[in-house]
Amino acid sequence: MAPLKKVFIFDDNTDILELCTIILEDAGYEIKTSSTSNDIISQVNAYIPDLIFMDNWLPDVGGIDATKALKGDDVLKHIPVIYFSANNDVASLAEQAGADGYLSKPFDIADLEEIVSRHLA
Amino acid sequence: MRNCEALIIGGSAGSLEVLLKVLPALDTDLAFPVLIVIHRKNGADSLLPELLSGRTRLTVKEAEEKELLLPGVIYIAPSDYHVLVEMDHTLSLDYSEKINYSRPAIDASFQTAAEVYQDRLACILLSGSNADGVDGLKYVKDWGGMAVIQNPDNAQVAYMPNQAKSQVKIDHILNAEDMAEFINLLSQSKRYGTA
Repeated sequence: MAPLKKVFIFDDNTDILELCTIILEDAGYEIKTSSTSNDIISQVNAYIPDLIFMDNWLPDVGGIDATKALKGDDVLKHIPVIYFSANNDVASLAEQAGADGYLSKPFDIADLEEIVSRHLA
Repeated sequence: MRNCEALIIGGSAGSLEVLLKVLPALDTDLAFPVLIVIHRKNGADSLLPELLSGRTRLTVKEAEEKELLLPGVIYIAPSDYHVLVEMDHTLSLDYSEKINYSRPAIDASFQTAAEVYQDRLACILLSGSNADGVDGLKYVKDWGGMAVIQNPDNAQVAYMPNQAKSQVKIDHILNAEDMAEFINLLSQSKRYGTA
């Protein structure tokens, strides 16, 4: 059996982390979560996910700088990053960060599953 | 208590995993409404009702202002509102001060429902990391209702049920695995008048 595709979710909202973990594990993915962007390169290097969700208001450096750090790393820059935020301008924030896509909060289960399957197909 | 006419389940950290065990095993003809008050933050608004809805054939919906409580329906307290039970068995959403640092507060729902349903109310307090729900359970007991807690040894976070256990005369202490059967028995007792 092929190994499960891995998704790393960064968000300071523990409710989002808990719910997304249940939903995506049910959908057949392996999930890791974190509530901080502290030492983001080490965190991601230790897991090497197939997809990353990045919240805008992520302590400590914020989602934009965390995403820029990942996209500036030769080993990790190929991993797609989905930016998610409740901000109205989530699309421009995602673009500013250099993310590969975005998801507006609040989202429903179908939205979440669709964007994951689209990037991990 | 007399026949149960309403059930309220309150919880905080570690309670979602209990609900995911309980809801799929509930009878589909539950004889009373269930109000679930779980501490949660903004931003995941639609996900919780949607997730729980997928685990049961009962109707699961977010509680709305002036909504009448109906048997067999599971109401989820929305984030950032206390859910109060009114004398006419409707719900009201309240944006007043946080209680126990929480909104929704379990105490607010337990206490208002206690006066309305009196000895026909059952309340279950699950896993959690603060004392919200403990004063509410005392109130439920004062009005003749039934106080149930998750076994602290069985809870992911024992603090909340432990506080209730030390301060309230608890009627039943249950493991998560036994909770659905207990609720179904309450429902069957009401349906067949055996309570």
